[in-house]
Amino acid sequence: MLKYGGRFENYFSRHHVTHIICSNLPDSKIKNLRSFSGGLPVVKPTWVLESVAANKLLSWIPYQLDQLASETKKQPKLSAFGFKSGPVLDDLEESISGQAVPQSGIATLRTSCSLEANIFGKAECTEEVEECHSVSDDPFHPNAAESADQAPTYCMENHCEVELDAAVVVQSDAGYHSHISPCQDPKSDHNDCLEDHIIEESSSSKTIRPSTTGHSTLSDANFVENYFKFSRLHFIGTWRNRYRKRFLSSANGFKDMNPSRNAFATSQKTTIIHVDMDCFFVSVVIRKHSDLKDKPVAVCHSDNSRGTAEISSANYPARNHGVKAGMFIRDAKALCPQLVILPYNFDAYEEVADQFYDILHKHCNKVQAVSCDEAFIDVTDLRVEDPELFARAIRTEIHETTGCTASAGIAGSMLMARVATRIAKPDGLCYIPSEKVDDYLHELPVKALPGIGHVLEEKLKKKQINTCGQLRLISKESLQKDFGVKTGDMLWNFSRGIDNRLVGVFQESKSIGADVNWGVRFNDLNDMKDFLLKLCKEVSLRLQGCGLKGRTITLKIKKRRSDAGEPVKYMGCGDCENLSRSVTLPMATDDVDVFQRITAQLFGYFHIDARDIRGAGLQASKLESADRNMRGHEKYSIRSWLVSSPARKSSMAKGKGDQLYSDIGPPVQARGSFSGGEAYVAHRATLPALHDLDVGVIESLPPEVLSEINDLYAGELISFISKKKEKNAGNNVMDEEQSLSNPLVPPNKDFVHNVAEKIKSSEKEDEQYINKMIQGLPETSGSVTALLPETDSLMPSSLSQVDSSVLQQLPEELLADVLESLPAHRRPDFMSNDVYLDHIRDQTGAIDFLPSNNLWVGNPPRWVDNFRLSSCQLLNRIAVLYNKSSPRGQFSSVLQLIMSEYPLDDGGDDAVNCLCELMKQYIKLKIETDVEEIYTCSCLLRRLTSRSELFLQVYNCIIPHLQAAVGETYGGDLNICFIE
Amino acid sequence: MERKDNNQAKAPQGAGEAARILTEFLEVAISCIIFLKGVYPHGAFERRRYMNVVVHRARHPQLRDYIHSSVNGLLPFIQKGLVERVVVIFFDNEDFPIERFVFKVNLNLSYGSKVEQSDLEFSLRSFLIKLPVSESLTKLLPRGCRWEITAYFRALPEASTSKDSELIWIPTDTKQWQQPPLITPIKSMNSEPLGVQLYLEHPSLSEPKP
Repeated sequence: MLKYGGRFENYFSRHHVTHIICSNLPDSKIKNLRSFSGGLPVVKPTWVLESVAANKLLSWIPYQLDQLASETKKQPKLSAFGFKSGPVLDDLEESISGQAVPQSGIATLRTSCSLEANIFGKAECTEEVEECHSVSDDPFHPNAAESADQAPTYCMENHCEVELDAAVVVQSDAGYHSHISPCQDPKSDHNDCLEDHIIEESSSSKTIRPSTTGHSTLSDANFVENYFKFSRLHFIGTWRNRYRKRFLSSANGFKDMNPSRNAFATSQKTTIIHVDMDCFFVSVVIRKHSDLKDKPVAVCHSDNSRGTAEISSANYPARNHGVKAGMFIRDAKALCPQLVILPYNFDAYEEVADQFYDILHKHCNKVQAVSCDEAFIDVTDLRVEDPELFARAIRTEIHETTGCTASAGIAGSMLMARVATRIAKPDGLCYIPSEKVDDYLHELPVKALPGIGHVLEEKLKKKQINTCGQLRLISKESLQKDFGVKTGDMLWNFSRGIDNRLVGVFQESKSIGADVNWGVRFNDLNDMKDFLLKLCKEVSLRLQGCGLKGRTITLKIKKRRSDAGEPVKYMGCGDCENLSRSVTLPMATDDVDVFQRITAQLFGYFHIDARDIRGAGLQASKLESADRNMRGHEKYSIRSWLVSSPARKSSMAKGKGDQLYSDIGPPVQARGSFSGGEAYVAHRATLPALHDLDVGVIESLPPEVLSEINDLYAGELISFISKKKEKNAGNNVMDEEQSLSNPLVPPNKDFVHNVAEKIKSSEKEDEQYINKMIQGLPETSGSVTALLPETDSLMPSSLSQVDSSVLQQLPEELLADVLESLPAHRRPDFMSNDVYLDHIRDQTGAIDFLPSNNLWVGNPPRWVDNFRLSSCQLLNRIAVLYNKSSPRGQFSSVLQLIMSEYPLDDGGDDAVNCLCELMKQYIKLKIETDVEEIYTCSCLLRRLTSRSELFLQVYNCIIPHLQAAVGETYGGDLNICFIE
Repeated sequence: MERKDNNQAKAPQGAGEAARILTEFLEVAISCIIFLKGVYPHGAFERRRYMNVVVHRARHPQLRDYIHSSVNGLLPFIQKGLVERVVVIFFDNEDFPIERFVFKVNLNLSYGSKVEQSDLEFSLRSFLIKLPVSESLTKLLPRGCRWEITAYFRALPEASTSKDSELIWIPTDTKQWQQPPLITPIKSMNSEPLGVQLYLEHPSLSEPKP
């Protein structure tokens, strides 16, 4: 190394030393890296070797110490701690300059090179001693001309790289990407490194990436799916389901026997064996590795030894070291450095669990599964002479078949059997005969009893009760008084070893759901929406898997507490507020769409910033068997209603249409549509004549209903429809032809001009006028009315076929309906049409935009049109919502609808001004007569402020105005307040 | 002024009828407020039906009479459009108001057509429905508090109007708040010829405590 200009420093100095080389660091130094390294890169010796081999200075980044790399990646610090792009950028500059300075100054490098000592030979020995050596930066040969040439170019390269990375970081930060670091695609090492670099200001380098898949909801499109694929709890949860399918028949068989059991119980002493596999999750994984049998092994989803992944199970040698389930790996490693960490092997678990239960079911038909590795068997009926022998046989068989050991406890009740197993573990057998129950229980800590959790334990501790013996001294009455009748009873019984539960019934699940509370991070509502959709899919799949449907849907959200920082556990949920909302449907469902709709609604209630969400769960409860409501109910299910609703709507719309055009429309058609409706509602009463039926209605009927009706008509209906269709097609063509020559159609501007002027001239006359005009042109009116009922889509293929002035005359509700039912891609069509209309208005001056102080004049009020034509999407949306709102004309009902919209996109300042003006005028309008409405509006606005910056601005702009108005009229202030 | 008064005296039939409906309604609504605030034990009220909703009416003859006579005493003034607000004031031992239920009345005197109770019933009923659920908006009253019905007039009534009804009205001793109060609307209705708004008034936060 000396040959190449490197030098070894005995004492650390910030001025002389440029790199620190070592292969390992003690924990204390890692923790306090900055004071140790002074911000210099800490690199592995291979960097020196490979740089020499390459005959040029390699970037040290890929050679950064693994320990550090993983340390810096532990948490997405950069962004997670607030979105302070300022400081980050500062750091960035610092780091860039820090990087650039030593390299741009080649001269300095060279001079320093000559001074530095070579520790090449010692590089290896550093590995063993685990000591750090300070090494100079540059292994360049200062004299070699080529390397001198290379140096600047390389520096340039490096510099560019840094800049490039900087750009990446800045970019992602700007879009406030909270989690750029470990989750992002590892395509560019430097990208990651730079982040680390920025954060730690120390070096960063490529590390062995634990896995290439993303670890948060942000980066991984299939997060939910993968999450559950790798979840142990999920395995345990779903195992029950599997078990049920596999062993249900036998379980049922013995359930039937149950009643007779009580009679037995009195006459014969029960014998219950509790069998529990020893550290199941570990022993299954290592069953094939005999070399690991006696070594401490733990199972964890991640083998990153310094991570905050939690150990899910540890074997007995590991437990002897104090390693426990639920511990962070790094803590466990500290306790037991030689701990071997293995990943889950879910297939093996499944296999072993099945074998385990096969054996149990073979020996005894009364098996109660507790978990995938734990079960009770009731051997009373088998009249086993020596239960110990029997249990031993089972244990041996389990060991031989699965390669894993199981412990067994034998006693007269489930409670005592479990206590016995506790004593028997590991790999043992314990028999507690009834006469010895008291001895065993006397010293047993209360915590060991089932049903006693932390809370109850604490309560008991306060009363100086630690063991069952102490618990036994308390009377049943006082226990019941202190802990409630049921719990008190339970405590009293359990402390005496009395357990009346029967080995038996497989408990049906009460709810099915999916919860994710690890790795959940969102940037905005859209992320959350996607995530919810996936959750819905997952739950729906699970329900379908169990053949169940749920009626109550519960959405749970974990919301980061405002004062909680980033959790200790990497990507964990940390300190959270748990929120939950549920809704009960009239019909049980397992349909993704329904779930999605409802979760969106439920989520809307929370009014939460997506960035604060740390976990979400969706659950379906009030489960019903899917088979039960499959048959016979299908017709009445939500779906069939949804399908048929367009038909009903159409007949409704037609009903209105008929009223409207009663004097103009062809009466036959009107009657036809009504009888069609009747046919749908009560077709059994009397069948209308075939030619009276409206094809449009019939065609939009659900197929099963259609076939039913067809049966009633003895099969003539279908052929009738097809005939009619042909005729219709002809009609349509005719209509179109007519519309070309039709003077009411927009292309003929002069005429429209006339019409518009007429409208202007007298509002009362215009309807008559149009009616007259339409009557004068019967064909045209036909086309308008016919367009509504005809064809299955009910809507004209293009609105240009419809006279826009007629549309305008439609009552608002009907118009809204018509617009709603327009297929999405045709809407712009209409919009342009609308613009066209306004164009006409402007030309004729018939309906001018009134001065802006009359926004609430007219029906619909002026502002609705203004908003509709606005370039701001939010305003457009509000205009649309106005037409949907009811009661019409109340702005609070519009706001109510906005509430249920999500996400709310922000408009610009213009939108704020428009809304402020609108609200001001509304206040003016309503303050005298309806202060309640004003109050409701301001309350709704206030609630909207938490979801949108725009509404916050509007709100704060409105409030002073509002208070002034209220003060003027009522002599007081409205009971609302400012929001900062 | 005289001419105007004459006009009002001959208030069209519609407005007169509306005023009558309003007084009846006020009597019921005030009883409900008193019940709601729990000034008297609940046993002092009985359940009755008015406009098809369950309401509470005072059992004690004196209490019932006070509400009845004061509201009915207002009728001639309401008919003339003089009454702007009818307020139920709850105040403590020192006559310092704690909470005020304000009925702001707006009667269109020029309304000519006939008014039936059923026309207004729908709107008025919503008050009686909204009232019991608005309890959370109200303040808990301290012990020993009292209440009164106070009417605010747009102008002082002429001495000549009606001698009987004038006798029952006495000046109030209740103190005024120094600061503009905080207003919490409960219900508003606005139909021809009658508009009523019910809102709560509480002392503002900056109000000096007595």
